[in-house]
Amino acid sequence: MTRVLVCCGAGGVGKTTLSAALAVRLALAGRRVAVLTIDPARRLADSLGLNELGDTPQRIQLATDCQAGEGCLHALVLDVEATFERLVRRSAPTSAAAERVLGNRYYRFAATRLTGTHEYMAMERLQELVESELYDAVVLDTPPTRHALDFLTAPDRLSRFLDRRVLKVLALPRTVQGMERLQQRSGVVVSVLDRLVGSSTIREIAEFVSFLEELTDTIAPRVQAVRDQLHSARFYLVTTPVPAAQIEALEFLQELQQRDLPFHGYLVNRCAPRPSGEQAPPLPSSIRAPEGMEPAVWDRILQAVGASHERFARLARHDDASLAQLRHAAGPDAQIWTIPTLSQDATDLAALEQLGRHLPGLDDDGEPAAAYSTAPPKS
Amino acid sequence: MCSTTTAADPSPPGPSLLERLGDRRLVVVTGKGGTGKSTVAAALGMAAAKRGKRTLLIETGGAHGLASLLGRRSARYRVLPVGEGLHLLSMNAHDALEDYVVRQLKLRSLYRLVFRNRFMGPFIDTVPGLPDIIQLGKVWDLAQEGSASQLHWDLLILDAPATGHGLTMLGSPASMMDVTRSGPFHANAKRIHRLLTDPAQTAIVLTTLPEPLPVNEALQLYQGLGPAREQVAGCVINQVHQPPFEPLDAWTAAAPALTRCEEPGWLEAVALTDHWVTTTRQQRASSLRLGQALGLPTLALPYRFQRQLEQQDLEALADSFAHQPLETP
Repeated sequence: MTRVLVCCGAGGVGKTTLSAALAVRLALAGRRVAVLTIDPARRLADSLGLNELGDTPQRIQLATDCQAGEGCLHALVLDVEATFERLVRRSAPTSAAAERVLGNRYYRFAATRLTGTHEYMAMERLQELVESELYDAVVLDTPPTRHALDFLTAPDRLSRFLDRRVLKVLALPRTVQGMERLQQRSGVVVSVLDRLVGSSTIREIAEFVSFLEELTDTIAPRVQAVRDQLHSARFYLVTTPVPAAQIEALEFLQELQQRDLPFHGYLVNRCAPRPSGEQAPPLPSSIRAPEGMEPAVWDRILQAVGASHERFARLARHDDASLAQLRHAAGPDAQIWTIPTLSQDATDLAALEQLGRHLPGLDDDGEPAAAYSTAPPKS
Repeated sequence: MCSTTTAADPSPPGPSLLERLGDRRLVVVTGKGGTGKSTVAAALGMAAAKRGKRTLLIETGGAHGLASLLGRRSARYRVLPVGEGLHLLSMNAHDALEDYVVRQLKLRSLYRLVFRNRFMGPFIDTVPGLPDIIQLGKVWDLAQEGSASQLHWDLLILDAPATGHGLTMLGSPASMMDVTRSGPFHANAKRIHRLLTDPAQTAIVLTTLPEPLPVNEALQLYQGLGPAREQVAGCVINQVHQPPFEPLDAWTAAAPALTRCEEPGWLEAVALTDHWVTTTRQQRASSLRLGQALGLPTLALPYRFQRQLEQQDLEALADSFAHQPLETP
């Protein structure tokens, strides 16, 4: 059985990097893992040591040997158009029907340029990976929050859309005669649409919709399967201690709870390094400026070392307040994994491995390991 | 013998972001998620309002980052006053659609009949791209409000969605024109497109952070804008950390000398400083790369330690937008 792990959260919090690091971690723990990213930025490919990533899963050579022989990592980037096309070809009753859909102008438009399609296709690709039965776990990197909300509702919206009654209203007028027939039956609706959108557009959309209707019988159960998949997945909320990211994380949490989707914990990225002592250490008497360094510069450096304690203590207080808020929102049992700021972006596999040590792994039962130690927030 | 004039006075400081925007009516703020789009939009709005411009801030897609920044708990689909000469509209697609349709049909009951039934609801939700164009249509309407001699708004600031979706939204009128080819929808899309692509009317402001990934995304976004690139007034670099000391290069020689004392508390402080130095270096390299690759004026704003921006922080940012000269690469 394939376990689906979904990383969601606001933009800019490091979802793509953490998704990759999580996948690396699970692969090193001996699992067969695929990471599906929607981020077309070259950087992920770079950090995985690849020239580029495509729609087909690519085997990633890990820097460290996997503990168990089975463990391996594959990565791929969502290709919306290719996935859509496969869906149409698989679902169409005949290949001629498939060609008709693929040739429709509205289809091409929907498949390439419009928002929303991305979300449908991310789910579809995920389903394909699960059905391939090649992986123990698939890690899904999702689009930024507002889109991700769409993605959670995509299966529901699609299935409502595929409701035959809806299609009946919209799909009939593929010809002028058809339009007139419909006009007689539900004249107001069509003439209103006509005034708003224009009749030629209506006809093209209607044609596209009627093609979709032909696909309904095969697509509808699939939408149900995707929905089931989401309900047995594990959702991790990626966030940072920054307030804006947190607000979105909490909104997302609410959304998950409302939809009864299984929330498994927060991955809090970019936590500041934490000074352990209460006070800045006194200046040791034993140190001397290196030879040739201007005394004024040396003084500024010593001041900076002294100031660093206060600076990072302040950042840590901010982090603690954030963690407390997250815990409060999700209840005392919520797991929190804190991931320290790297002074450099993760640009290679070794860095991803290092990041992965801070992320949930799987124990023998396939359950997430205990939370990485988190300093209890001081209220 | 040739005589050279001595070095002239230092060249006059460049214009501020607000000055560079001039008389443009619409400013679109976009960038990677989490790079401070809403903050920039809000502060820019405050700066413009202070200059006496009747300014409207607009957020889309049910977002309410602007509303909460400006101390409004939940913004409804209504123009709210949020300061002297400054207003806010938090839009969502459903209300904007109702607004549009009712205006076209002149009859609310017809809207209810056609759109509030169990057939059309799902259709509207499912037709991708419809929300974008409908919301931009509302922006167009707002830009025309008032009489020809006295427009209601001097400046509209659109807090646009993040990069990918932002690009799709800006491109949605062109996409719609392509798909519809004729009819009222086509005509609507065309005039929205005209407003958005007119350099005399519409400017774009990019936001980013001085870090590798956000900089990459800013560069991709800039490329993705195509001909609209010439409408980009500048790029705001947010959260620039104050350096621990200058010159940073001195750290290489200083670090070994500092670690000669192995008292753990001291070593930790040195390690923290090292972290600080590294992030500062990385931020500088990223900012430099951005400036060079974009060839656009940039504005660096300092990192603030506040967890929540207060009114006075926004005002300080607004001041930077009004007065701080942009840096030209």
